[in-house]
Amino acid sequence: MSAPFAKGPAAPADLPRDEAPASGQGPLDEAAIRAMVDSEQGWIDRRIFWDPQVYALEMERIFARCWIFVAHDSQIPEVGDFLTTYVGEDAVIVARARDRQVHAFINSCSHRGNRVCFAEAGSARRFTCNFHGWSYALDGSLSGVTAEELYKDNPTFDRSKLGLHKARVESHGGMHFACFDPEAPSLADYLGEFRWYLDVLLDNDEGGIEFVDGNIKSRLKCNWKFPAEDFVGDAYHATWTHSSALQALFGNIPTMKADRSFQVNANGHGWDFGLDFISNAATLCEPEIVEYLRENEVRFAERLGKMRSRMVGSLSSATVFPNLSFLAGHNTFRTWNPKGPAETELHTWVFLNRNAPDSLKEKYRRGVMLTFSPAGIFEMDDGENFEHCTASNAGVVTRRRKLHTGLGLGSEVEHPELKGNVHRNQVNEANHRAFYQRWTDLMTAPNWADVPVR
Amino acid sequence: MSDAGKSGAALAAGVDRDLVFEIEQFLYREARLLDEERYDEWLATMAPDVHYWMPGIQARYRADKADLISRTRMAYFDDDLDYLTKRVERAKQTTAWAEDPPTRHFHMVSNIEVEATEIPDEWVVHSLVLNLRHRNEAEEQTLTARRQDLVRRDETGALKLARRLIRLQQTVLQAKNMNAFL
Repeated sequence: MSAPFAKGPAAPADLPRDEAPASGQGPLDEAAIRAMVDSEQGWIDRRIFWDPQVYALEMERIFARCWIFVAHDSQIPEVGDFLTTYVGEDAVIVARARDRQVHAFINSCSHRGNRVCFAEAGSARRFTCNFHGWSYALDGSLSGVTAEELYKDNPTFDRSKLGLHKARVESHGGMHFACFDPEAPSLADYLGEFRWYLDVLLDNDEGGIEFVDGNIKSRLKCNWKFPAEDFVGDAYHATWTHSSALQALFGNIPTMKADRSFQVNANGHGWDFGLDFISNAATLCEPEIVEYLRENEVRFAERLGKMRSRMVGSLSSATVFPNLSFLAGHNTFRTWNPKGPAETELHTWVFLNRNAPDSLKEKYRRGVMLTFSPAGIFEMDDGENFEHCTASNAGVVTRRRKLHTGLGLGSEVEHPELKGNVHRNQVNEANHRAFYQRWTDLMTAPNWADVPVR
Repeated sequence: MSDAGKSGAALAAGVDRDLVFEIEQFLYREARLLDEERYDEWLATMAPDVHYWMPGIQARYRADKADLISRTRMAYFDDDLDYLTKRVERAKQTTAWAEDPPTRHFHMVSNIEVEATEIPDEWVVHSLVLNLRHRNEAEEQTLTARRQDLVRRDETGALKLARRLIRLQQTVLQAKNMNAFL
């Protein structure tokens, strides 16, 4: 009865060893974080996708310190216009105040912490808490307290210190970003050389862009980084994951040209693109959009130069670190809002040039809906991937193997025109590696001064 | 469309039981075609000028008078027959990964009301739809919506769906995608 189990044959000596420590054991110190990401060779420890400790540190060191996109100018054009959104898991109100400036502040009353605004968007003169009636002005300052005489001569009641917790707000091309870290660099420095690329969309036409009304929101049971990394540079998946949509629309799969396409990145922001000018836009199946782009090609080139003008509607995708993604040509912006290590809320918008013909608004709105929205024939296959990349890491043995992101090692090139770090061939994982390099920089840096420019 | 001030009898005026029964069967059969992924037959129940519309829903204050059910705003579907056909074409591809193994669809239709219109062969039809999707081992997604249809009898005598407005209950879609028609 007590005899030990007979030993089976010895495991072959060449069985691969497990690379990652099992089950995320050990403290989450700098060495542990650095060991999770090898951005030189392209190895990622799956722990970054499932560990609640890693997620909690991401909220502190990434979302509470970075510039996070919150609104475009055109969404809140008038004094009093507001919308509610998230910076990490922090609920924020974004409003245009009497100074006509855009302000962002935490959506939580200074008294008992209740939410002070429940509408997704609208127009208001103030935000009043339902609990005791404290009210806040459009810039977040405390403007009214019910029966304020009760606080007369109260030594700790100081109106000036009881406003809603304010963020810094800065903008580029009408895109407003919020940041809760006073030590963070300016938005301009945060975006760095990526500003030059953003202008391909934000400044290819004199009037800039505007957003179409409405905002489609959906919940994916995935870690927020899977979609963010997908958009930062996963051209590789496009023809495989989206084969069904491409076949349905065109009857064939387009080819990406290695010598006519790039991945570029700066400070962890990245864009993969071809120089084909039109391929993303063409999938919207609206000839009027393609005609508009062709008619304006020369004007785009005058503003942007020939090279950047070829990106306006081209086969491409991009992410501004950490969670703002977009597709040129399709004209959609989206944010991936973290809701725990295994859940993400996707916010999707459609935009177009403000001076484009009115009829195009309808074309872009419907085209994005057909392709890249939750019901879109492209996007519905993405969610399936992101969720199962996340769910598979429930297994402790599964967790022990690192993930390979080594495609395109050694593809960096010097380019006479393109800024930032440039890699040839958009089918590449150079931008993944840069995204995770930036992630590591931030996760290991106690202060912004310790975060290098990349 | 307001029903205010109309009695049940007035709403049902010009609508006999046989017609209500026929329209109910039309909607139940449509639900089964969707559950069984018989999408070509489903498309054949549409009028050539069909408008199939599922606007995005936002939570706004009551005092907010903005027109939120508007074709200037973002939607999940704002489709004509051409768009619906493109969606079906994608679903039929062998590489439609999110449909293989198949999503197990369930459409339950209820609270059907039929109202006459000024056009003899067109009726406004209200209904509720409960859609469950099951995938893989444990995925389960629930969608509920109020529908307002315009059902038309065409020149062959067949009923066709001419308009559908689908008002979702969710403001944030609690699902990774919407690979279902409601």
